Amino acid sequence: MGVTALLAVAVFVSAYVLIATERFNRAVVALGGAAAMVAIGAIRGEQAFFSAESGIDWNVIFLLFGMMILVGILRTTGVFEYLAIRAAQQARGRPFRMMVTLILITAVASALLDNVTTMLLVAPVTLLLCERLAIDPVPFLLAEVMSSNIGGAATLIGDPPNIIIASRAGLSFDQFLGHLAPLVVVLLAAFIGMAWLLWGRHLRYDAERAEQIMRLKLDDTITDVRLLRRMGVILALVMAGFVTHAATHLEPSVIALLGAGAAIVVSRLDSHTYLEDVEWETLLFFAGLFVMVGSLVHQGVIGSIASSVSTALEGHYLVGSQLILGGSAVLSAVVDNIPFVATMSPLVLDVVGPAGGLAPQHQSLWWALALGADLGGNATAIGASANVVVTGIARRNGHPISFWTFTKYGLPVTAMTILLSAPYLLLRYFVLAG
Amino acid sequence: MLAIDLAEQIPTVSYQTTGAEAARVVAEYRLSGLVVADEHQVPVAVIPGSQILALILPAYITEDPTLAHAFDEASADQMCARLNHTTIGELLEADELTAMSLPSVLPQDTVVEIASVMVRGHHPLIVVREADGTYRGTVMMSRVLAAVATAAGQDSALIRRRLERDLIQRGEPWAPPAAGEQED
Repeated sequence: MGVTALLAVAVFVSAYVLIATERFNRAVVALGGAAAMVAIGAIRGEQAFFSAESGIDWNVIFLLFGMMILVGILRTTGVFEYLAIRAAQQARGRPFRMMVTLILITAVASALLDNVTTMLLVAPVTLLLCERLAIDPVPFLLAEVMSSNIGGAATLIGDPPNIIIASRAGLSFDQFLGHLAPLVVVLLAAFIGMAWLLWGRHLRYDAERAEQIMRLKLDDTITDVRLLRRMGVILALVMAGFVTHAATHLEPSVIALLGAGAAIVVSRLDSHTYLEDVEWETLLFFAGLFVMVGSLVHQGVIGSIASSVSTALEGHYLVGSQLILGGSAVLSAVVDNIPFVATMSPLVLDVVGPAGGLAPQHQSLWWALALGADLGGNATAIGASANVVVTGIARRNGHPISFWTFTKYGLPVTAMTILLSAPYLLLRYFVLAG
Repeated sequence: MLAIDLAEQIPTVSYQTTGAEAARVVAEYRLSGLVVADEHQVPVAVIPGSQILALILPAYITEDPTLAHAFDEASADQMCARLNHTTIGELLEADELTAMSLPSVLPQDTVVEIASVMVRGHHPLIVVREADGTYRGTVMMSRVLAAVATAAGQDSALIRRRLERDLIQRGEPWAPPAAGEQED
């Protein structure tokens, strides 16, 4: 390894440590790291901006950007509040039934939208419902954020790590659905059972308080019926575009941008409103991260590690996939899963190559990475961005969730989902694949 | 006009005043904000009126305003009743109210100096204090604008009345206006 490569590793590790400590703004650290990579000559501007192998992954950035605009416009209709209140009324204010419907709504919404946005929409209405029932909202918020992380694993757009993995591995939307969604359904069923043990059996039904739920004015929460109908059509078209993108050869980012453009035109909202939900900081964080990881790729660091990993594996992909699943879960619990996956993706790419045409045993490494990173985020309050958002909302509303309270429930949920994912990988990609 | 000419004596509240009582004071005297005084009746903080209104809202409605539509009238009234159970001091301590550090001007400051302090800090009212800190009164936005309107040639009986009569007087029980005088 040359001096530049060693310097690049030093810059990368320093930036990673600073991001993990969360004492500094992560976008500033990532962009600072990217600037340092350019300054030491680890990467040039042209490679950072235009190289498909070592540059900024614009597909990821613009897919996120397009989806943020779509969600920003959709949320102005009040549809999420409507669905949550309707679910609570159908559960007739029975706490555990209400928890189950909220778990399912959150999981489905997280599969179609990003987890942070989903929680920003679901958490406030949950607080309202729990206040009406005079019950502690913390179990509900924990159940929702964990189902959000589980549900997000089902699709290409559900969780940022999946978007990165899909782009690096060349995996399509329907491949994610076919490979991960069946497992996610099983995980959700198991999670609902666990939610009963953890929280449901302690919840008490109060008929008088339940009446307060029935008195909530459901229809008034929909603020723009016409826009909701139009957004329904646009979202259906966007989802159809995602499902068929392997056939149409339209990148998911292009589909999301077209959908966002159509939504802007039909909504006639001013730019301030539809840009309000764009998380510029997250997009800049991704850009900086891609340049830092790209520098390691360009300097051959990732290639060297991948070659050592390949040698160590010696064709034992079952061991490799189980190690990646467990290792990703552990690391994603203690550091943000986005930088972790951004670093691991080029490594897996060097070890097994793009997912298209790979033998199931080889492809299992990509799915293990996605599952480990997505599900590992449930273990601690800092494991996933959605967890940080929910604990913040809970604190502002007078229901603080400590790091240890989150871990007390998150750890067993993570252990359960990872323990169910391990045999799934074994059966689907090794035993049944022949 | 100078700050001392625009200063009024307005009702103040203490740390022990409940949120509901504070709302009543604001409503009775049509105040644009509240002056919080200590046990010696010395003003220590100013709270904009909009913050008193925000007290009836749970934080989750601030995070998702759509949820405000879900409450029926009875539930909305229940939310207002919450103000009876908490004091200004408790609300300040819990950061549900954010007191502005006491914005003040000197008695001899001009309308431009008053406007400058109000605009810079978005203060709906400011206090007038001597250089040694002695409290002389409070200047409210409406009275400053009355002075501005007069100086700009927009004279009227109501404007003159606003400048002549102190707020405490305006807050007295309503009586039919004298001939040639209109109620504001």
